[in-house]
Amino acid sequence: MKIAVVRSLTAVLALTLLAACSGRASTPAAGEEEASAQLILGAYTTPREAYGELITAFAAQWKAQHGQDVTFEESYLGSGAQSRAIVEGFEADVAALSLDGDIRKIADAGLITHDWHIPPYNGMVSTSIVAFAVRKGNPKNIQDWADLTQPDLQILTPDPKTSGGAQWNILALYGAALRGKVEGVPADDEAAATGFLKAVLKNVTAFDKSARDSITNFETGNGDVAITYENEVLVGQQAGQDYELVIPASTILIENPVALVDVYADEHGSRAAAEAFVEFLFTKEAQAIFARHGLRPLDAEVSAAVQYPAVADLFTIDEQFGGWAQAAPAYFGDAGIYTQAMIEVQSQ
Amino acid sequence: MTTPLRGAVLIQDTPRRLPWGRWWIQSAALTYVALLLLIPLAVIFADGLKDGLVALWQSVSMPIAWAALRLSLWTSALMAAINAVMGTMTAYVLVRYRFPGKSLLNGIVDLPLAIPTLVTGVMLVVLYGPQALVGGWLEDQLGWRIIFARPGIVLALLFINFPFVVRAVQPVLQGLNRESEEAAATLGAGPFTIFRRVTLPALWLPIASGALLSFARAIGEFGAIVIVSGNIPLRTQTAAIYVLGEVESANRQGASAMSMVMLSLAFLLVLFVDWLRRRAPKERLA
Repeated sequence: MKIAVVRSLTAVLALTLLAACSGRASTPAAGEEEASAQLILGAYTTPREAYGELITAFAAQWKAQHGQDVTFEESYLGSGAQSRAIVEGFEADVAALSLDGDIRKIADAGLITHDWHIPPYNGMVSTSIVAFAVRKGNPKNIQDWADLTQPDLQILTPDPKTSGGAQWNILALYGAALRGKVEGVPADDEAAATGFLKAVLKNVTAFDKSARDSITNFETGNGDVAITYENEVLVGQQAGQDYELVIPASTILIENPVALVDVYADEHGSRAAAEAFVEFLFTKEAQAIFARHGLRPLDAEVSAAVQYPAVADLFTIDEQFGGWAQAAPAYFGDAGIYTQAMIEVQSQ
Repeated sequence: MTTPLRGAVLIQDTPRRLPWGRWWIQSAALTYVALLLLIPLAVIFADGLKDGLVALWQSVSMPIAWAALRLSLWTSALMAAINAVMGTMTAYVLVRYRFPGKSLLNGIVDLPLAIPTLVTGVMLVVLYGPQALVGGWLEDQLGWRIIFARPGIVLALLFINFPFVVRAVQPVLQGLNRESEEAAATLGAGPFTIFRRVTLPALWLPIASGALLSFARAIGEFGAIVIVSGNIPLRTQTAAIYVLGEVESANRQGASAMSMVMLSLAFLLVLFVDWLRRRAPKERLA
């Protein structure tokens, strides 16, 4: 019933969620001897290109080992939206999302029954950092967080209501401010950090639905700077975009989790393939593919080989904010720091 | 559920023959309407009212929600007002004047209904965005920001809802008896007076119903707005986009409450338009 309610709600209001809700597995239950296996991947938007390549590589490996073809249905939505879609009945066998909290929602709904904080990286499969995309030649001379408050600057960042990337962006900014790494903002001063957040929010011209929508908007020519994932900028550059990457002195390490969705995988009889796919993502081969698509790999050897630029002061969600379970309500809840700052800035 | 409606149909001019055929057609139509419209609509109402009217009011009166609703209402109202004037003018030109390209223009009027509204949004950004030629000029020279601001919302709504008033007024204008206009002319009235005193009184109903229907539709517009508005809470975030944010961040109650308010407004408007039409003297329409 709940699913039906939300479905009709969205339909009537024409909030089309594109392919997400339509995907459904056609073949449940199966023996090992079937000629083909099907996996449904529900992912967030920015690693789309990486997963395209990962899927091809995994399918080749699976075919070699099991003599069976494996096909994928892929869906890419903002992380929060994808999480909700899976909870509401989009039967993904594997969920690859932007942040821990969005996987947790699926687990809380009873769909992930195992402890998904698995080794070697505690359930995380790739990382990135929050960085800036600026116009060619950096005409506004944006080098660090403090430069985002200059008058008449146009900033793009997605909407934290729908986008995991947006939440990373806000926490990167706020964390840098709290750590005393933003010029003019004293360390550990919440009031000053909030003041800085407000000054930046004042310059935001569009809060798009997902990180991908936001960078697309930037590519259309809007905005002077987009706060986004480092990998989003690198992928754009690979595709021929001429914007530039600026890495602030202090920023947050974005850690992206992946998890097998037990209930759906068992329903589809696809657990074996799904488990193998998740395991595959941690191999050196897969980690190298992530690295090629701008994500910072977790595997030490692969990481040493690609040499991403170092960040002067890199912090994690756990050390700075006590993890997502604390940070999400404290910053993005109705009484959260971000929500309140937004209300104050926009009602002026 | 079908019995009272059946009674209503019986009163109307249905032939006495073929009662079985009629019964089948009627059942099929009513079942279809129930499955397609009534049940989903009832579900939204039930969901919105699940936690009671107080909870509904609390959700809708939160600053961000309330601002979104107000923005949707006034931009839609402004659009409907402009649409009423310009749509009537367009219909008048299309019916009364002859000029080259008239049939082409007549065809183009319906185009906004055929284009996906998302495409309309993208088109407006390409044309009026701060970095676009026209938009950049407007901002530099006049200080007008169109896209990622409220004018963009009104502009998108105007584009999308253009056909409503034109198509409501056109047939009435075509069927209008021109004798009274000619009589007024022989009595010495100028063209403007004739339009205001003779033609317009016959057109108020189609103008009002076209404008109100476009208003009802505009309240829920999503595809174009999400592109052009910039989605800034309290400033450029409309009710429909607010609902998306609440749905995506798992606040069902907030989403349902706002949906319920939007749906009720649209429903009341449609009922009102229907009432206007039924109480209007039939000869005006002839």
